[in-house]
Amino acid sequence: MPWIATIVLVAVLTACTREAPQNAATTAAGEVNSSLTVITVNYPLAYFAERILGDHGSVSFPVPADVDPAYWSPEPAVIAEYQQADLILLNGAGYAAWVANATLPRSRLVDTTAAIRERLIPIESAVTHTHGPTGDHSHGGVAFTTWLDLSIAVEQARTILEAVVFVRPQHEADFRTAFAALESDLVELDSGLQRKSVQMGKELVVFSHPVYQYLERRYNLHGFSVHWEPDEVPEEAHWRQLQSVLQQHPATIMIWEAGPLEDTRRRLLDLGVESVVFMPGGNRPAEGDWLSLMTEGLAALDRQYKGH
Amino acid sequence: MNGILYMAWRYLAYNRWKTSILVGSIMLIIYLPVGLNVVVEQSGQHLNARAEATPLLVGARGSPLELTLNSLYFSLDTPELTTFSEATSITGSGLAEAVPMYVRFHSRSQPIVGTSFEYFAFRELTLASGRMPALLGETVLGASAAEALGVGVGDAVVSSPETAFDLAGIYPLKMNVVGVLAPNFTSDDNAIFVDVKTTWIIEGLGHGHQDLADSAASSAVLNRTEDNIVANASIVQFNEITEDNIDSFHFHGNLDGYPLTGVIAVPKDEKSGVILMGRYLDSEANNQIVRPRDVVTELLDTILTIQQFIVAAVFIVAVATIATAALVFLLSLRLRRREIDTIGKIGGGRWHVASMLLAEIVIVLVLGGALAAGLTALTWRYGSAIIESVVMA
Amino acid sequence: MRFHYGEGDFCLDVPSLQVASGERVAVVGPSGSGKTTLLNLIAGIARPQSGDIVTASHKLADLDDGAVRNFRIERIGLVFQEFELLEYLDVLDNVLLPYRINSSLRLDATVRQRAVSLLQSVGIGDMLDRYPDQLSQGEKQRVAVCRALLVNPPLLLADEPTGNLDPANKGRVLDILLDYATANKATLVTVTHDSDLLSRFERVIDFRDFLGQPE
Repeated sequence: MPWIATIVLVAVLTACTREAPQNAATTAAGEVNSSLTVITVNYPLAYFAERILGDHGSVSFPVPADVDPAYWSPEPAVIAEYQQADLILLNGAGYAAWVANATLPRSRLVDTTAAIRERLIPIESAVTHTHGPTGDHSHGGVAFTTWLDLSIAVEQARTILEAVVFVRPQHEADFRTAFAALESDLVELDSGLQRKSVQMGKELVVFSHPVYQYLERRYNLHGFSVHWEPDEVPEEAHWRQLQSVLQQHPATIMIWEAGPLEDTRRRLLDLGVESVVFMPGGNRPAEGDWLSLMTEGLAALDRQYKGH
Repeated sequence: MNGILYMAWRYLAYNRWKTSILVGSIMLIIYLPVGLNVVVEQSGQHLNARAEATPLLVGARGSPLELTLNSLYFSLDTPELTTFSEATSITGSGLAEAVPMYVRFHSRSQPIVGTSFEYFAFRELTLASGRMPALLGETVLGASAAEALGVGVGDAVVSSPETAFDLAGIYPLKMNVVGVLAPNFTSDDNAIFVDVKTTWIIEGLGHGHQDLADSAASSAVLNRTEDNIVANASIVQFNEITEDNIDSFHFHGNLDGYPLTGVIAVPKDEKSGVILMGRYLDSEANNQIVRPRDVVTELLDTILTIQQFIVAAVFIVAVATIATAALVFLLSLRLRRREIDTIGKIGGGRWHVASMLLAEIVIVLVLGGALAAGLTALTWRYGSAIIESVVMA
Repeated sequence: MRFHYGEGDFCLDVPSLQVASGERVAVVGPSGSGKTTLLNLIAGIARPQSGDIVTASHKLADLDDGAVRNFRIERIGLVFQEFELLEYLDVLDNVLLPYRINSSLRLDATVRQRAVSLLQSVGIGDMLDRYPDQLSQGEKQRVAVCRALLVNPPLLLADEPTGNLDPANKGRVLDILLDYATANKATLVTVTHDSDLLSRFERVIDFRDFLGQPE
């Protein structure tokens, strides 16, 4: 039986002079008495986690302030930070593509949209590729700014709640109380946006960036997207494209991720389009927090549509 | 007593060849069963320790021994493959933590172990230098693997092709060494650890290539429609994952269908373990769950039986060897008749002469025994390393 | 005394033989006449079937085997025709042999020094670490003589000590034995075929007188 020789050989190769280390099975519960460390891939999740955790843990969001977290690629030293956290909150929906190519502890990953995959919005214009006529293929992507649908934001926050309760059950009561308060704020914001959408009726809008799919769907905003940067002067070809679309789709406001250049704003006004800033809030703002950011966005819409 | 020993020693030293053969024979007779016992004992201890440290193992239905040897000791005999969905399913059940294992490829003589980040904490592996792998294509080496391959942090290792002549098969992937583990005197020392996704890239299930939308890749495009580009076989695929091309790496299809050689399951508690085992009781199921401890116990019982046969054979050889040695001794007595007479004539005591001859036997036995003891000690300390260097050479 | 080997025809019948203390005696006789046997009997290596042998005032018949060996090793120096050196011992160890094979003799630094001196006195002091197969016949016999003289025996029994030597070495070895006997007033009984050497002895015993018939 030559395999017996192989077995003995394998066994001998692993022989040593001291005892092998004991099994150190890691459990999701972790060290019950230590403070919980949570790290996230975007700011909305960091905000939700901060609200829910309170004093029972720390939340880390290492993305630099001037970077879009969706397209950020961290250095290995930062990935090490993710590896050491107790919980790693992912947005899901393909947000933060770097996660797919990183080595992260699977047992500590929390995909906050895993439970509501059916509500994710596919991107219709994505170009896929295949290898050979009948070979492997890649699917198109989905839109990932899920939190702009405040009802989805509630579900994401709820997933975070369940995750922290699982690892720190002794603080469940505090976590649920904190979540209730957060949920209340989100529901109130959602209601405000719902009312605004009713007010806006069939008003047409232009989105400066294709990141408002969930806002559009949830709040029945009738719009189309261009791809303009707020801090850049749009090219003439872009203006021509916009004018052409406006003829079919006479929008009266353009929703921006950030305040546009003054020249751009004025030229848009000449076309009858007012600029409204509704920051998606993917990264931490210079002032305020995520909720104030969303509230300010609602207020901007409010100001815009009070006059209509 | 000194005179007796001195005389015996001088005789043996003068007849060094005869003495060496006798001592060597005695040494072998003693060492073979004892050394074998040491090897088997040590091997058994380490097999057991490793198995005890691994609660449950899930894999495709087939040989439990092959599954255990591959997942725990990284033998390159690949068992039947299961899929990543098993790991997902186990994690999703909440009953256990799942550590995926894909041990199929190697870099020269060292096994490449595709696994997850949890593996390192599970096995209590610590770094001696560098850091843990953070990205696809990065690798952390066991201490012995680093030494065998002569690489350290900042160097690279290349996966070996599965077959030398299969041009369309698995091609080498260059992986960057970012860390070297501290020795922990288990199979882990010999391994090259990578993210399981990296092993899928080695296999060609995942890859990085030119952007097909780029004009530079036009020659690689077979067909293009509004929403899909079909690539032909001439497309350049990267055989190294770098900072510049990592974003191009992707996997086609659902990762749940990707292959694994096994999944280590670490139950939350005993009850969860029992429930998990119950899920695999269906004989029609494609997968099986094993307790490595049970598999290794059965294996060691088999090895013990073989060992007993070997010891019996050695015993028979020993009897023959001792009989031959006795014959040699008696014949040499005849040849030494004149010497013995001379000693007697000069006035040597009969007891002295007998003691001298007996001392020769005792010295041979003691030397043989001491050498056997020394070899046994060396075997206990270095046996595994020596065998490894002979086999790996 | 009478001595015979088993059932054979040979028989040694010595009605009386006396050798005085300090006497240097040569024993001659035809081959097979029993000269070697006589020396063995004197040394206690063989025992007669009848009669008494008194060697150095000791009646050998009164001693058991062990006592005879002790007596022999302490008081009798034996030199053989074939040298009888042990091939696996060097020159010095061959000379020291008596001290290693009988616990009645104690080997110490004084004995070693005496052995070295003896070897130097016979001209082979620079060959201490050589082995018998590296020595000439004469050198071997000189080693054997030193071995016999190491215990300062009062009685020397030499069986054809020059039988295998060339003329130069014959004289040299005999000189050593005779010089020792003279200087130490030791008794020397030498079996020899060499008629040239007989004049150097005080008395010659002709062995033809002792041959007898077994009963």
